[in-house]
Amino acid sequence: MSDRKKIALLLLPAMLVIVVLFFGGLTIGLMRSFNYMPIIGLTEPNFQAYISIFSDIEFYHSFLLTFHIAFTSTVISSILAIGAALLLRRSFAGKFIVNFLFQLNLTIPHLVGAIGMLYLFSQSGSFARLAAEWQLIARPSDFPALVFDPYAIGIIMQYVWKEVPFIGVIVLANMQAIGEDYESVARSLGASKWQSFRHVLMPMIFPGVLSASIIVFAFTFGAYEIPALLGANYPAALPVLAYQKYTNVDLAARPEAMAMAVIIAILCAILIWIYVRYCRTRIRGHV
Amino acid sequence: MTHVSLKNLSKIYPGTQTPALDNLSLEIPTGELTALLGPSGCGKTTTMKMIAGLLEPSSGDITFDGKSVLDEKPEDRGAVMVFQNYLLFPYMSVAENIGFGLKMRKADPNQIKKRVGEMLDMVKLPDLGNRKPSELSGGQQQRVALARALIIQPDVLLLDEPLSNLDAHLRLEMRDLIRSLQQEMKITTIFVTHDQEEAVVLADKIALILDGKMKQYDTPQAFYDAPIDEATARFFGSQNFIHGSAKDGIFESSLGKISIPKNIKAGQGALTFRPENVQIQQDGSKENTFTASVDNIIYLGTQTRLKLKLSDVEIDAIVNPREAQGLSIGEQINICLPAEILWKVG
Repeated sequence: MSDRKKIALLLLPAMLVIVVLFFGGLTIGLMRSFNYMPIIGLTEPNFQAYISIFSDIEFYHSFLLTFHIAFTSTVISSILAIGAALLLRRSFAGKFIVNFLFQLNLTIPHLVGAIGMLYLFSQSGSFARLAAEWQLIARPSDFPALVFDPYAIGIIMQYVWKEVPFIGVIVLANMQAIGEDYESVARSLGASKWQSFRHVLMPMIFPGVLSASIIVFAFTFGAYEIPALLGANYPAALPVLAYQKYTNVDLAARPEAMAMAVIIAILCAILIWIYVRYCRTRIRGHV
Repeated sequence: MTHVSLKNLSKIYPGTQTPALDNLSLEIPTGELTALLGPSGCGKTTTMKMIAGLLEPSSGDITFDGKSVLDEKPEDRGAVMVFQNYLLFPYMSVAENIGFGLKMRKADPNQIKKRVGEMLDMVKLPDLGNRKPSELSGGQQQRVALARALIIQPDVLLLDEPLSNLDAHLRLEMRDLIRSLQQEMKITTIFVTHDQEEAVVLADKIALILDGKMKQYDTPQAFYDAPIDEATARFFGSQNFIHGSAKDGIFESSLGKISIPKNIKAGQGALTFRPENVQIQQDGSKENTFTASVDNIIYLGTQTRLKLKLSDVEIDAIVNPREAQGLSIGEQINICLPAEILWKVG
């Protein structure tokens, strides 16, 4: 058997999973978003589902909320992760323990974190009760709404808690690979600490930060469970809205759910395209 | 133009017991080019980083023109370090790299552009301003790193192994460039190297550091003619040591009496001499002539290295290939060690 055939054969199981499950699901979703569902008698493809969601104000509210959640979580997580990586790359007593605790969140499922957030930060949660106990507020229900709130603070807090170590680990590995000599050169050439971070370290770690941020943005934009658990009823995050449409008793609402899923997928694809383009430009610059 | 003094400088890294640098004192005169020479891990780069302010000494002081600079931040010291692997910022063009120091000082962009152009001309890379560092050869990257350091007109220039990453022909070119720029700008320059040849061809004075301690601080010539001890002589390529004791111009050893210069101090020690100063003689009439057997002959192109045995002493001689022609292993020859080539160490 030729090498080429061997490689093709070895790749087949993985390719089957990708093609059948991923592209298969995507194709079916796309067809249904165009109102093509022969099973319920919809055999004439059209843009009805897209027209319908684009003319519904709830979609725009959901979209803005989802964008706000994803964007704010990503920006806050990235900033905190860079700060944490800057601290963790130094040598200090107990670094091993701090590093271990920093990465501990990575092993905890989102769902567990969300329940923890619910127990701690909701108006009937531990902090609300403690605040009332210590007479900081009159009743637990006076505690500021951090969960089920219109600004999605609880959701963002949950994502930040979970994503800081994820981005931090990537950025830290990046920083360790780069070393500190470039910053030393910059300092010796007259750059202050801030200038050497801003003009030297930041541009060098930026591709790593960007790739991690895009993963986090795409995930938080498309994730269902956290907004479903910690989000307000209205507006719901886009994946929650899509799921509500999908589980609607009226099967005719399914194309709208699929159209929303397609929009989320397109947005993620655009982000990845931007990242790949950016990286190619940089790689070309380095060659 | 800055006089640099290192006073009892020591560095012990956290978690270690042995000092990376032990009580180093050095006076580096204004405008001179000084080499810190020593094997890898002897504390040379540590010393440079401490002068640049990138490392804090464990004890001791560093002064520029008599004023301690220990409390000054690296960016305020006026000492610029050029690293061995150049460390050009990969995402910036050559021109941006060179202009970096001025940009950090918030200089006028037109002024930066003009100065970058001048520096590119100075390092003979006038048309490469728009290239990325990865598009340059090693020698070109070294020049850019040098231009990037010189553009801010530092008081002290620190070069970390400036020639070690370059090919033989580029080393010569770069050596001449560094030397001429240093002479022209009169910048007090310190460079570290593990290569004694590099130190000899470039430096006004050499400080030899072995095991974190300074062995000898002298002119390059002195390291060849009057090394302070056996380790120093060995570092500079001498393999020739005849043990014995000196008194009144005579050195007594297992080879018998050897005439030595009168100014050599009396006492026990080892006579040393450069392999290239050993003379092959046709007869044994000259003073300090000994019979030696040829143990090995190594042809090196422009010279030939002979491994010789004089009774129980093994010595190295480097001779012209024509002189070595016709010699064979095991042959007995006469060699002369004139008194003026001999020096006592230890």
